[in-house]
Amino acid sequence: MIIPITISRPGQFSAKLPPPLVTLGHDELFLIELQGTLDVEGTEVADKDGQLIGTLNTTDMNKPTLTIGYHLLEGKVVNLTKPLGVLHKQVCTPVEGVSTSSGGQEAVGTGTKWDVIAVVKKKLVFSKRPMPVATNSANKAPSSRRA
Amino acid sequence: MSDMIDVRFSPSTTQDAGSFRLIELPSELCQLIESTTNAPCHAKPSLCIKGNIAEDAVLCTTDKTYTLRSVVLSNTLLVTTPSRTDPGGTVNVRDRLHEVLELVPSVPKLHKLPVLLKGAQYDEGDEDQRAAFVKYCYNQASSEIQASEAEFQQGLKEKRILVLDGYLRPIVPAHLSTILELILSYTVTLSLSCQAAEVEELVSTLADEHEVPREVSAQIISWFGTVKEGLWEIDIRAVVAEIGLEILRHHKHEPIVESDFLSKWKNKIGDTFEAFVALELLTGNYLRSDDTSGGATLTYFPASGLPTDPAARFTELFLTKQRWKSNDIEPFLLDIAINSKERDKLLLKYARAITAPESTWYTSRVGYNN
Repeated sequence: MIIPITISRPGQFSAKLPPPLVTLGHDELFLIELQGTLDVEGTEVADKDGQLIGTLNTTDMNKPTLTIGYHLLEGKVVNLTKPLGVLHKQVCTPVEGVSTSSGGQEAVGTGTKWDVIAVVKKKLVFSKRPMPVATNSANKAPSSRRA
Repeated sequence: MSDMIDVRFSPSTTQDAGSFRLIELPSELCQLIESTTNAPCHAKPSLCIKGNIAEDAVLCTTDKTYTLRSVVLSNTLLVTTPSRTDPGGTVNVRDRLHEVLELVPSVPKLHKLPVLLKGAQYDEGDEDQRAAFVKYCYNQASSEIQASEAEFQQGLKEKRILVLDGYLRPIVPAHLSTILELILSYTVTLSLSCQAAEVEELVSTLADEHEVPREVSAQIISWFGTVKEGLWEIDIRAVVAEIGLEILRHHKHEPIVESDFLSKWKNKIGDTFEAFVALELLTGNYLRSDDTSGGATLTYFPASGLPTDPAARFTELFLTKQRWKSNDIEPFLLDIAINSKERDKLLLKYARAITAPESTWYTSRVGYNN
């Protein structure tokens, strides 16, 4: 069994990240590292779609902060020891001819392909203890819990 | 406050969840990906993941193989991209990951090849028979073997596998040895230079005088040296080694006295190339024991016949000989360790080292004979 890995080229018209986040190295994707996991309420599968998790303050990229519910997390930009390739799964449907993906690859037959969409060398890590903050949006956003 | 960015769940969480993976990239892969990203449209991608359900997956570039390993993280990594509807002010968390994939350089896994091709051997006179055994074509085999394209082609050469009509045919060793002996003698009789032998002359002579098909001799020639513009720079040592190996193959169970073996070998090679005959050419293929009165004896013991799994290989090595000198055991680890550092790691893990004044001895960690 062979799973092809394609390397996609940056699209001209895809959405770009706001400038402070572009300093992390890639203009269309970045990584946030949290200690613990995001604890989400709501049981319906599509309940989460588009819901607000929190707010990222990028005024000072030396001290970025992330506010989730009642918690304010302070973070920093960290260089990765080894660059990470970000792969995105594509499930191909049987189509003859050239597909319109940014790489201009032919989609032949069914099967899973993985596409390298980015190589990231930095990440935003939020590893300090969260500070309690009183915010008005505390009720609506899910809470983050430290593991 | 344009620096406050909303972090939201993706608008299609079910579709996105589990569709992302992070892979740690060694520097050469990172460079490969970055150069492909910046290259013109028609640069062909050269990465793929290979493996059956039962095997550990490997990632292959055009010339290297890496084993994929999963590293579990205690932290969570959020893969985040800009929102399409509000790129300046909202980002979407597309996936939440707890593991990263690691790439470990590994030896190409070619051991399946001889097994796959068992029924497809090529022997003298085969071209007259179109036997109805299962034949593997090049592409089929290449997709089943966990190795990069370049390593696969190199493996075909090393394992003496011909590609005839697109099918893989391992050549019967005795037939190969016969052809090589003919090649050596014709090199002398036709006064061909060993640094630049005319391939056409050899191939035609073999076809006319001995009915060896041209594709067969041409491929064999390519296995033993380099061919440039029709001229062959002969790797005499490799040819001499292969001929010696064929003699040794008959002595798997019955040892042969070393001096007898060397004279048999020299006879087959002939006067011109006799000086190349040396036991070192066959390292990794024999065991030598000097505890008989008639002198040292040799037994056929090829590394290629040993298990590829390290634990099983060491078991077999120590069942064959209780203790090994480091120089003696190293050739039998060459095909499972990618470099000497890896080889030393294996020795550390599976053997016990005893340092003696003359050299280090290795014995098994577990007692088998007690």
